[in-house]
Amino acid sequence: MEPLDIRPDLEALKAAYPAVEIAEAATGHFDIRVSLDQYLDVVRFLKDRGFNYPACITAIDWKDRLELVLQLYKLVVGSRQSPLVMVRVDGLPREGAEVPSVTPLYPGLNWHERETYDMYGIRFQGHPDLRRILLPDNWQGGHPLLKDFVDKRPRRPRLVRHRDTIVSG
Amino acid sequence: MEQTRELLINMGPQHPSTHGVLRVLLKLDGETITWAEPDIGYLHRCFEKLSESKTYPQVIPYTDRTDYLSAITNEHAFCLAVEKLMGIEVPERAEYIRVMMAELQRICSHLLGLGAMALDLGAVTGFLYAWRDREKIYSLFERITGGRMLYNYLRIGGVRNDLPEGIIGTPRDGRDKADKTIWGFINYFESYVLPEWDDLLTNNRIFQWRTQGVAPLPSEVAIAYGASGPVLRASGVKWDLRKNVPYSIYDRFEFDIPVGKENGDCFDRWVVRVEEMRQSARIVKQALQWLAENPGDYIAPKLPRVLKPPKGEVYIRYEGSRGEVGVHLVSDGSANPYKVKWRSPCFTHLQLLPVLAPGHKLADMIAIIGSIDIVLGEVDR
Repeated sequence: MEPLDIRPDLEALKAAYPAVEIAEAATGHFDIRVSLDQYLDVVRFLKDRGFNYPACITAIDWKDRLELVLQLYKLVVGSRQSPLVMVRVDGLPREGAEVPSVTPLYPGLNWHERETYDMYGIRFQGHPDLRRILLPDNWQGGHPLLKDFVDKRPRRPRLVRHRDTIVSG
Repeated sequence: MEQTRELLINMGPQHPSTHGVLRVLLKLDGETITWAEPDIGYLHRCFEKLSESKTYPQVIPYTDRTDYLSAITNEHAFCLAVEKLMGIEVPERAEYIRVMMAELQRICSHLLGLGAMALDLGAVTGFLYAWRDREKIYSLFERITGGRMLYNYLRIGGVRNDLPEGIIGTPRDGRDKADKTIWGFINYFESYVLPEWDDLLTNNRIFQWRTQGVAPLPSEVAIAYGASGPVLRASGVKWDLRKNVPYSIYDRFEFDIPVGKENGDCFDRWVVRVEEMRQSARIVKQALQWLAENPGDYIAPKLPRVLKPPKGEVYIRYEGSRGEVGVHLVSDGSANPYKVKWRSPCFTHLQLLPVLAPGHKLADMIAIIGSIDIVLGEVDR
């Protein structure tokens, strides 16, 4: 099986969008840092260049800002070592961030975007059905994976019986 | 033509055929499904938030509990992520033990997935037979790890303990040793269990009528929806991360990738899983041979008491029992992970339900849910 080389694609991306920063991480994937305005165009460019498999989308809370991370790779039958690219949009506000949705390009990211909205509060414009997914629809407690999340629910009483009260036999 | 009124019904969360706590909203036109919408989150246990307050080794038991039917593969994925981040070299013997355990776990998990699908379709016997054989794997796992379902066996850099004395057995061990030695189980499995599955269900006309042509999934749709593992391969895409993006020592083993036809239906997904068990048995045999020839006791490297990976980020793609498990780990240089993201294959596969179900009968819904083999513990994490 042939090793897959994605460097020509990344060079073409750099040529088409000079503002994009591309770096190879020590752990083997490629980081593609883009600005928010170019995010959708870059993802569309990558999709046209054959990055057909949507692995995941998530966000990272850096305490002063949010970063959106989209993981894609090429699924080519008969190839080996298809490197992963991470398209990253840094500097999103921690409250009320809005980014364009890539669900119309990759339908498999539908629920992953919903989860990112649920957990981090990033709204995806153009998403067909942006609702909470893991938490209930009427959840008022905020977005739990933000680092400053506090669980405001009242503490439940302990329901474990005390040891002495268990009657043996 | 007179139009019937559509009926909105709930399937689950207490429906016995929804594999746990899955609720599916269905719109029915007579018996035909016109619209389906899964509602998940009933089993959400905050795995990702919880991990941020644990040290790296403390996260391993929680990874067991995401996909609780395939615990070893989850531990393996997480350990690989931390090892890649820290650049830890895993001893060769530990690698072979890990691969052998992961493949046994895959057999175990597929047995339950197939058994549960058979049960949902009315073949109770299949489920009981699956349970009988899983019990044997669990007996072996109990002797190796101490746990039957949730093991906490893998350590960062290696495994907790070596295989106990005499568990490997010899290639001549037969059915009477199926729950005592791994060779005994593999021989029993290949000579007895797999032919039984073929006779009982795969070649069963009633079972074929029930599953063939139900919910075909074209390969380009499967890729666009992020399907992976047996679901993707059943649609004819020959893609297995163990071969295509090799990790651990999988490039040393000989095995084939079973695929279905272009428009894989529920039956293809079934056949691919049965074939995968056969291939896993092949891998286990090769690992056993190596382990018997190379005894040793170096199974984990010496690591500092508190693991502090350098600042960085890693994303591991791992071929779990149900598909691509992705572990996205961000380290800030401290002893706790800054962020853990678990890309679960079941969560991704469940999105296919609204695509697959419309146009089929309500009774086929059971076959569809069974054939994508979801574990709600991993969907909700």
